[in-house]
Amino acid sequence: MSIATVFEVALAAVVLGLAIWTIAVPETYSATVGFVAYGLLVALIWVRLDAVDVALTEAAIGGGLGGVVLLGAAARLRDAEATAAERPDRFTRLIAAILSASIAAALGLAILILPDHAPTLAPVVAANAGATGMANPVTNVLMAFRGMDTMLEKVVLLLTVVGVWSLASDRAWGGRPGPHHEADPHGVLAFLARLLPPAGIVVGIYMLWTGADHPGGAFQGGAVLASMWLLAIMAGLADTPPVSSRWLRFILVAGPGLFLVVGLGGLCFGAAFLAYPVAFAKPLILGIEVAMVLTIAATLALLLAGAPERNA
Amino acid sequence: MTEFLTAAVGLILALLALGLVSILRGPGDTDRMMAAQLIGTAGIAVLLLLGTVTGVPAAVDVALILALLATFASIAFVKKGLSRLESDGVGSAEDK
Repeated sequence: MSIATVFEVALAAVVLGLAIWTIAVPETYSATVGFVAYGLLVALIWVRLDAVDVALTEAAIGGGLGGVVLLGAAARLRDAEATAAERPDRFTRLIAAILSASIAAALGLAILILPDHAPTLAPVVAANAGATGMANPVTNVLMAFRGMDTMLEKVVLLLTVVGVWSLASDRAWGGRPGPHHEADPHGVLAFLARLLPPAGIVVGIYMLWTGADHPGGAFQGGAVLASMWLLAIMAGLADTPPVSSRWLRFILVAGPGLFLVVGLGGLCFGAAFLAYPVAFAKPLILGIEVAMVLTIAATLALLLAGAPERNA
Repeated sequence: MTEFLTAAVGLILALLALGLVSILRGPGDTDRMMAAQLIGTAGIAVLLLLGTVTGVPAAVDVALILALLATFASIAFVKKGLSRLESDGVGSAEDK
């Protein structure tokens, strides 16, 4: 067993142990922090498995934005936890345990009975990389070969924003999401919120641009841009836009809307829905991705900001 | 050189595991979050070394994302956890 294998086994054991602890620990806050650390470590494993695209998404969502959503939920639950200390009765817990165990067993069984050479389209994807003029096979699959899935996924993102907004009270409808943050304008938070976003915006655009030929893409870039926007909001340097604002709604539908228009264009001028003309494949995909990165950044930031609470 | 870098990865992974002990032990939320930050920093170092050892230059991009978002998560922790700190009699009110 080589030294690298020893590290890998040790890393896997640590991640497994942390996962079990995160589930078992009673306090919500500790579990959340455990989950954030878990996301960071899983990103390491994805890099080791040569799935850098997945590692980027895991680092952005699991270690970053997802952790913040959970932290917010834990902070809200905290007050409720103190009052609702009642425990479910033995029967309910037994049923829940049986259900969880059988799902875990079924998942384990499904993995064990997979054929040794799983059916894969990877060689076909690699062979057709030239069709779009982009070298990153993941971007090829997401934007061209399985473009339909990606488009619908962005529509789902839009639906989640609608879901969050619908939690607003009638009085606050059309107002600004989240509390109004105020921080010392000469304090360390305001300083960081001025220092970090310029670098973060460059990294976000770089993620989008490099996604054509190397790991990266609109989602990772959008996640970075969203976090930079939220940083400025949390430092009180910017305010969340009112949800009734036209430009905000335009940005929210820009990505899936442009995707749909290009897809319908493929139906009129090309072979099928979402079929790109070969000569224009790369510029079209890049155009969709530029619109998409703005949509994703706005969507993720608004999901974290929460339901409208204040009048504009 | 590769052996040296691999050994460095091993050392940082060991330190990272020690940081995990701090997450498990706590005792306070702040200790846990600081330990998570330490793990983030160690993860960045491991990614940069791994990228060099295994010849995956894109690992540097993952390290970049981690660096940006780990900072963001720690700020969100302070902001969101503020109400709790206040109820414990620590910290000052910044939000209205």
